[in-house]
Amino acid sequence: MLSRAHNTDSSPPTSVAFAIDRRQLDHRTSVISVEGDLDLASAPRLKWMLVDALDEGHDQLILDLSLATFMDSTALGVLVGVNRSLHDGGTLAIVCARANLLKIFELSGMDGAFAISPTLEHALARVNPPAAEAG
Amino acid sequence: MARDTGKHPTPTRRTARLAAVLVVCCALSLAFISSAIARRDHSKPPAAQPAPPEASVAPAAGQTPAASAPAETSAAPAGGQTSAPTGTISPRRTHHRDNPGSTHGSAHTPSTGAAAQPASTGQPSSAGQEAGQEAAGTPVPANPQLEAGAQARRKKEGTKPKRPREPGRKGKGRSGKGGGTSGEGEGGSASGNEGEAAGTSTPTTPTIATPTAATPIASAPEPTASAATASPPATPTPSPASGTSTPAAGGRYARVPRRAVRARRHASAPPRTGVAAFAAAGAVPAAARSVPTAPASGPRRAPTSSHAAAPHGRPSPLVTTITKIVDVVPVAVRALIGALLALALALAARSRVSALRARRLDRQRVQLLEDVGLLQAALLPVPPARLGPVGTSAAYQPAAGPGAGGDFYDVFALQDGKLAVIVGDVSGHGRQALPHTALVRFTLRAYLEAGLSPRDAVQTAGAVLERQLGGVFATVVAATYQPRERVLVYACAGHPPPVVLGTAAGAATDAQAVAPVTVSASPPIGVGMRTGTRQTVVSVPGRSQICFYTDGLTEARVGSELFGTERLVDTLAELGAAATASAVLARVAERADARPDDMAACLLSVEGDDQAPAVLVEELELSRDEAAGDRTARFLLACGVERHGVAEVMRAARVAAGRAGTVVLEVRHTHGPPQVTFQREQVSYLHARRADVGVAL
Repeated sequence: MLSRAHNTDSSPPTSVAFAIDRRQLDHRTSVISVEGDLDLASAPRLKWMLVDALDEGHDQLILDLSLATFMDSTALGVLVGVNRSLHDGGTLAIVCARANLLKIFELSGMDGAFAISPTLEHALARVNPPAAEAG
Repeated sequence: MARDTGKHPTPTRRTARLAAVLVVCCALSLAFISSAIARRDHSKPPAAQPAPPEASVAPAAGQTPAASAPAETSAAPAGGQTSAPTGTISPRRTHHRDNPGSTHGSAHTPSTGAAAQPASTGQPSSAGQEAGQEAAGTPVPANPQLEAGAQARRKKEGTKPKRPREPGRKGKGRSGKGGGTSGEGEGGSASGNEGEAAGTSTPTTPTIATPTAATPIASAPEPTASAATASPPATPTPSPASGTSTPAAGGRYARVPRRAVRARRHASAPPRTGVAAFAAAGAVPAAARSVPTAPASGPRRAPTSSHAAAPHGRPSPLVTTITKIVDVVPVAVRALIGALLALALALAARSRVSALRARRLDRQRVQLLEDVGLLQAALLPVPPARLGPVGTSAAYQPAAGPGAGGDFYDVFALQDGKLAVIVGDVSGHGRQALPHTALVRFTLRAYLEAGLSPRDAVQTAGAVLERQLGGVFATVVAATYQPRERVLVYACAGHPPPVVLGTAAGAATDAQAVAPVTVSASPPIGVGMRTGTRQTVVSVPGRSQICFYTDGLTEARVGSELFGTERLVDTLAELGAAATASAVLARVAERADARPDDMAACLLSVEGDDQAPAVLVEELELSRDEAAGDRTARFLLACGVERHGVAEVMRAARVAAGRAGTVVLEVRHTHGPPQVTFQREQVSYLHARRADVGVAL
């Protein structure tokens, strides 16, 4: 299915290795997969990945956090920023099944802002039906 | 930044600059030397004019005129000081100049003589004294020579009956001396002529001469003296130096010889010619310049110039020594030395400049730190140790890394005995976050002080700040505590709820934390969503710690794990009643391996009876759409509402919200199953009203 994490980079010893990868499904849809900790150090990379996708005209964004282990307020800030810069018809869907990440979304009150799905298929179906069909 | 780079050029540029500086310095020194030579050359012609014979005699003679010029100056001032006739005198002087021999001679001679004395003897003072005496009017025993000199002077200055008070004799005596000396030295005949000419002049001249001899004390004479001093060493030899100093007139001759003689006797330094010229160059020209002015503009001015000239004469021994040395040094070496000097100067100036800059930067830094301290104190106030019956404390610990900045807190008393707490975290870090933290904090504080409930305050602030934060968002928790009823009310917006840790008497050792409902939490302020929809009311009857904190605490790392809420509760329990916010932060910092974010905490210590704290009410404000949403269902479940009752509540809520736009769903925990009520929310700015429209389940 979706290829995962090509570029890995070293992160602080206390955190899990971080990797991020983007895959374009069609001219509007991108799937961004994250592995490891999304924190102060790695959040900027997520931000630029998402911003690049937006700049290329992709407004159906799916962030796959299935392999993400942690997310802090900085990463949440990135998601908030991207969510706000989406125009009408644009979507930021999140794939997340981990309890600790879901808790973070819940605590921050942002679980109502994003379409959070337990699996990628779910997200594709919710976000962009044509893309899902294509996939 | 740009400036800095400009100030600190690249090495190449630096060296280039240095080189340029060196070149310029060398050029300047060359120019100076050449100008000095030129001056020396220049000085000759005037001398030649006044005293052609002398000029012809030797370079010394040529220089003499230059000296004569100063002498004149000096004379002029002397006259001015002495009496009114000055005016008359000056023109004459000019005239004298034209007729070098006669005019100048008189004035200079005495001075030169005086100067010569100090120079040769090496005891200027004595000479000065002599001169002084003379000036004073005490007739100095006149040697024949002196008399001759005096005569010469008189002749020269005869035209100027300047000083009636000073007896001609003195002058005579002085001049005589000078004349005598000169005679001895060289060109005696010439001097004699001049001297005679001077002799013709009035007795005033001598007077003037005397003061000149008197040196510094007598204003007029001084200049002459100076000129003389400079020249004396040179004089012996027909060197230019001596020439410079010696006046053009016979008087000069008189001096010159005198000095020359002395110099010879004392075997001072004949070779100085060049050196002396060099040294004199500075003084002489100045004097020369002053000359023209002196006659016309006034004797009064002249004295000053003469004074100025005097010092030049004094250091002659030193100057001569130096000049001697310099004379010996080849030109190339001189240039090299000059270049090295220039380099040294350049480097010194550079280091000086950088030192000054460093000092300035240090000062600025200290000031900045003070400013930052003041600002931080304004943003992070130190709460009183107690607010009523409640112990309060707050602490803040910035992250070591780039994450610092953005956390804020406030603890303050409200009307009717309540107290309020605000803790928050603005997205973004560093100084950019500062203005936003202040904005959010004071906005919330204002609404709380105005009497809004925490939820209403957050909701109102959220609506107001949405426009002002410009993309930045803030997570906050606002709370009030009423000590009388022991009720804590708090509302979070994207922020972790406080830890309420209470101890019941029955279980004194086991502190129990109230488990807050976090489902359907309000989003942060500034994310473009309605916020301030949740509020929790907690009863805190027992001895309890209420800890408000930012996620920096719970997101600190312990190994590869987060510090987390559980560890925070443990920490609070360990600290017990002695817990303070700073103690909590210290403990967290101690246990954590890394703290990527700021940590802020506010702690309320409540003394109470033996009951454990308990949540009384969970509130959630819903729109019509939200009332039917999944979140609402989960919220109700989390609050303990029976599953079969959830659907019914949601339906009722939707109906209520449909009528009023929004509805506040309250889940009360009393004895037995939770009760859900609906309240229509009407939030108007600064005032909140409620009307019961709810249905009890």
